[in-house]
Amino acid sequence: MNKQGKQRWGRALGWVRLNLFSSIFNSALTLISIAIIYFVFLPLFDWFFIDAQWSGSTPQDCPDKSAACWPFIWARLDQFIYGFYPQTERWRINLGVGLAVICSLPVFFRACPHKGIVVLLLSLLVYPLIGIFLFLGGVAGLPYVETSQWGGFFLTMVTAVFVLITSLPLAVLLALARQSTIPLLRIASTSWIELWRSVPALVVLFVAIIMFPLFMPEGWDIDKLLRALLALTILMSVYIAEALRGALLAIPREQYEAADALGLGYWQRTCLVILPQVFPIALPQITSTFIGLFKETTLLLIIGLFDFLGMVQTAIADPGWQSQGVSATAYLFVALFFWIICFGLSRYSAHLERISANAGNQHD
Amino acid sequence: MKQEALYQLILVLIIAAVAFVIFTATQSNLDRLGVESGIDFLWKRAGFEIGQTLIDYDANSSIARAFLVALLNTLLLAVTCIICSSIVGLLIGAARLSSNWLVSHMATAYIEVFRNIPALLQIFFWYFVVLRSLPDVQDSVVMLDIFYLNNRGLFFPAPVLEKGGAWLVFSLLVSIVLSIKLKQFLLGSARGFARFVPVMPLCLLLILMIPFLVALVLGLDWELPQAGKFSYQGGYVFMPEFTALVIGLSMYHATYIGEIVRSSFSSVPRGQIEAAESLGLSSYQALRLVIYPQALRVMLPPLTTVYMNLFKGTSLAAAIAYPEVISVFVGTVNNLVGQPVIIMSLTLLVYAFISLCIALFLNWYNRRLGIITGARS
Repeated sequence: MNKQGKQRWGRALGWVRLNLFSSIFNSALTLISIAIIYFVFLPLFDWFFIDAQWSGSTPQDCPDKSAACWPFIWARLDQFIYGFYPQTERWRINLGVGLAVICSLPVFFRACPHKGIVVLLLSLLVYPLIGIFLFLGGVAGLPYVETSQWGGFFLTMVTAVFVLITSLPLAVLLALARQSTIPLLRIASTSWIELWRSVPALVVLFVAIIMFPLFMPEGWDIDKLLRALLALTILMSVYIAEALRGALLAIPREQYEAADALGLGYWQRTCLVILPQVFPIALPQITSTFIGLFKETTLLLIIGLFDFLGMVQTAIADPGWQSQGVSATAYLFVALFFWIICFGLSRYSAHLERISANAGNQHD
Repeated sequence: MKQEALYQLILVLIIAAVAFVIFTATQSNLDRLGVESGIDFLWKRAGFEIGQTLIDYDANSSIARAFLVALLNTLLLAVTCIICSSIVGLLIGAARLSSNWLVSHMATAYIEVFRNIPALLQIFFWYFVVLRSLPDVQDSVVMLDIFYLNNRGLFFPAPVLEKGGAWLVFSLLVSIVLSIKLKQFLLGSARGFARFVPVMPLCLLLILMIPFLVALVLGLDWELPQAGKFSYQGGYVFMPEFTALVIGLSMYHATYIGEIVRSSFSSVPRGQIEAAESLGLSSYQALRLVIYPQALRVMLPPLTTVYMNLFKGTSLAAAIAYPEVISVFVGTVNNLVGQPVIIMSLTLLVYAFISLCIALFLNWYNRRLGIITGARS
């Protein structure tokens, strides 16, 4: 061993001693951690990936040994993605997802001209209209697809996007009403927000499913999926309104006074001066609220809609696939899907926060 | 001012109009469907069994009693989850702050993995995969001849309270009063006992010890689980639904508590720790007297949110048919009597009321902490 190698080896040993074995207590903790990795993590990893059956797509491909069974996933992948959407119409979903990616591109480019207006127009008006016509059909020669046939990954994404788009404007109005100088408006908004914030999402969904039809005059019938989406919109808007309220309180008084001094009216002041400052502050919390909502889309399966997890839950019940490990593999697959999206979103939000913090420092 | 009055008038009119439309529509819908109104159904015979009951209940009890049983099940689940997730969260938070590289990175991995997977999916995993793979009743795992573990649950002995139950409750009350007095004495003493005596653990120990000693002296009878035809009878049981929910919800919410613990402890300025060291306090004393009180104040407001989320999260129990408010009341009772408006309103009220209580209690505690520290500084 040459001198440089020896030095490196010494540094590594020093690091180990400092960070893993600095005291008796720390050494014990290190040993316990290694034991946990060895006895819990490694066997799980083996079970799901190393010993697992990877190839094939029929129940016979899964030998009757206790290990993960990935052929089940391959066989049902279409169902997990598209739900019960008719086979011949599935290109519409692919096209819709592609369009969603294209429409969301301006968000990621900092140099996009008129970014704010372009993004608002695309996300609030253009894409929702395209999406409704494309997915529901019934116009321009596209066959009509009932929402009861929607399911899987597609339904989860529709729910998340729909609720995000509809709840943002509502949340802005609620937050402004809560800060309003008009007493009745303030009271109404505050009690609305506090009521929905204090009850579980599942109860709100049940209100929408069981109770809401009774509120409607006879002959009015609102689609079950739409009712569930509206319930989630109410919830999400209330949570985002709380995030915005915190950010509104962080805006210095002088900003209001400066806007007033310029002779701006209430809406001009709000839209041109206050809100553009509020959104960057509230963005991290809005993102974490959205991540929470994304995880809560799984509740749809309890009220009988087939979201991604609901679809998987139905597929597991298939008596044709009763090999050991089918359900564990399927749950792991769903968990991976949710984990990648939620983890990615939280990282992206942390990244945005860092950028705005840096920008703030440069200003000072 | 005139404009404001006009806006308020318009708002009132809109709310009144919406309320009127909803009320008349609901009335006519209920009439058309022939649904009875009122809450008389609460006193009718329930006619269904409930899997887990904390108070006496059978199919002949009233629906109101079934509701109470379900509510108690919800509260039991919430309290158990709050305790378990707090313990796990505290450990995880402490592990993240550890100087041990492996420990802090494993804690980070735990938080990032379990926080980003839906709670419902985690519950399903524990319930349908892990607990389903436990042995059948015939092949139960027996521990110490008194614990029986199988896929129907964990069975363990129950104390027979007919004989010494009253004494036990009495001794518990006495021990609580005693420990409060002890705490006041220790904290108020001019000798400063609080500096080297761990006050809270001592009080908790006292609360547990006295009833334990009374039970030992009285010699309580224990009812052992007996093997029946399909399952065990007698004693207490943790239903697999309950176990899956406690594990799933606690592990999920512990990630949030761990983050709160970490950020609140690292929010205490470094100078405070150095000041405590230069005063000659030991590291335990520094933690107990300097760092912990300051961290607690930062910790409480976000912790309130997590506890409320946890309470609301117990509603996921409906997905695996644990008998709590939603599955019993909104599910079974609503199917039985078909009065969705009353039933949903009652459910909303109950959840809103309990959430309010949690928020009020923790806000009160938070204020109390603030005043004490404020007076000292």
